[in-house]
Amino acid sequence: MAMNSVSSRETVAGSGRRGPRESFFRSLNARRYTLITLQVAIVALLLGGWEAGVRSGQINPFLFSSPSQVWQVLVDRFHSGEMLGDIKVTALETIIGFAVGAIGGSILGLLLWYSRFISDLAAPFIAAIGAIPVLAIAPITIIWFGTEMLSKVVIVAFSCVVVSLTTSYKGALRTDPDLINLLRSFNAGRGTIFIKLVVPSAMLWVLSGLRLNVGFALVGAIVGEYISSDSGVGHMILLGSSNFGMNIVLAGIVLVMLMMLCFNALVAFIERLILSWDKK
Amino acid sequence: MSKVLEAIGIRKSYATPGGGRTTILQDLHFHANRNEFVSFVGPSGCGKSTLFNIITGLLTPDSGSILLKNRETTGAPSPELGYVLQKDLLFPWRTVIDNVILGLEVQGMPKREARERARTLFELYHMEGYEKKYPSQLSGGMRQRVALMRTMVTQPEIILMDEAYKALDYPLKIALESELLSVVKQQQKTVIFITHDIEEAVTLSDRVYVMKAHPGEIVQEIAIDLETDSLAIPERRLSPRFNDYYERIWRSIGTQPASINE
Repeated sequence: MAMNSVSSRETVAGSGRRGPRESFFRSLNARRYTLITLQVAIVALLLGGWEAGVRSGQINPFLFSSPSQVWQVLVDRFHSGEMLGDIKVTALETIIGFAVGAIGGSILGLLLWYSRFISDLAAPFIAAIGAIPVLAIAPITIIWFGTEMLSKVVIVAFSCVVVSLTTSYKGALRTDPDLINLLRSFNAGRGTIFIKLVVPSAMLWVLSGLRLNVGFALVGAIVGEYISSDSGVGHMILLGSSNFGMNIVLAGIVLVMLMMLCFNALVAFIERLILSWDKK
Repeated sequence: MSKVLEAIGIRKSYATPGGGRTTILQDLHFHANRNEFVSFVGPSGCGKSTLFNIITGLLTPDSGSILLKNRETTGAPSPELGYVLQKDLLFPWRTVIDNVILGLEVQGMPKREARERARTLFELYHMEGYEKKYPSQLSGGMRQRVALMRTMVTQPEIILMDEAYKALDYPLKIALESELLSVVKQQQKTVIFITHDIEEAVTLSDRVYVMKAHPGEIVQEIAIDLETDSLAIPERRLSPRFNDYYERIWRSIGTQPASINE
């Protein structure tokens, strides 16, 4: 959230003129620094208060751990190599599942544009599949696909596919009919219209579907690991909580947060690459 | 003079929500000769856009036919016909030059060859240096130029324009119209120009069809001769004969009571 508001301010500032409005930007910058300072202060206050509470005995470290203990777990696990191993497993599950589910779903959704009949036929089934919570099917996938990586990949793919499919189909349907007519006037066939117009014009929706799904994908991987696993960040959290190791649980949550931020940044980067024409 | 386009008895009606039918176009007969600039001018509701869609083949008339070079159109778009609308219809993800070559590309010309051909147009249309820009970086007038280039580069014989310059401010409109006129005269194109603007119709056209609304009908056909060789719109506008034509058209439109509710 904080990052969003900062970057949107920057675009406003970048598109303006220099000169009489300079003072306006100075106050904008001042505002920005105030915000960042306050945000950092809030985090420092919370962590500091938490740590102080534990050290003074006001907060029970067995139930709530403490920032320094969580940090210690992260450092230890980093040195022992466990941390990278867990991240690698969970990241791989997420990325492969995302590629199959979100990207595959997007392609299917775009292709539905081709046939109104097939999309109408499929609509209730897509809605039905979309109505199944990932948690509900997770145990079955373990039975069908084993406890190894494959079952988690399936869960991740399952949790992305419907959203991607429906957003990209909606995007494809929103193709400007005047642009379709223009291509028709050049005698373009349906295939040409699809490749040259429908796919690029739906790209905004496809990408917003992908952005949404990054979150679902990571949740899917963690859920899969909760059900059955021998490694991964979800496994680390599960194991920690079953041994009342709050340090480990919280360290795991920190890792999940960091992974999520990385994935989001990656998708934002890809988005900027694909939508490079969109900048002024 | 040979007719490159002829319409015979075009009728079109739409079903109304009440179950009846509204006649949009009532028995239209018109034609355009080779190298001729023909305008349709009329109030809103006279079916200009329907007419446009019928000529392009996007709509089929209830009865009547369109002949392109004496051959009846089949409803499939013809390469002889290119069009320009008020909406420039540029693809925002394509650079200017790639927008210009869209038609060539769709018709199967390799991109490199198409770009080579397109590049020769940029000077004529005062667009040098903008080849690699995106449409969002252009002004409205430039975007309209690109739309015209995209049509012209496929070398259609007939150019159909529907309120193409409606959204532009006056000086820009005058400038683009002057450009248009000199390009189509130089390249010997036939233009069918649909507009609500009488001034525009008189200054650009060789012949004007005046339409009325409800139902859309042609009420008058006026041959325009401004007695000037100039293709610059301001000069044509200052021709002593301009007011005569303007008044004649205005009167034939004005005899129809205009509804404010439209």
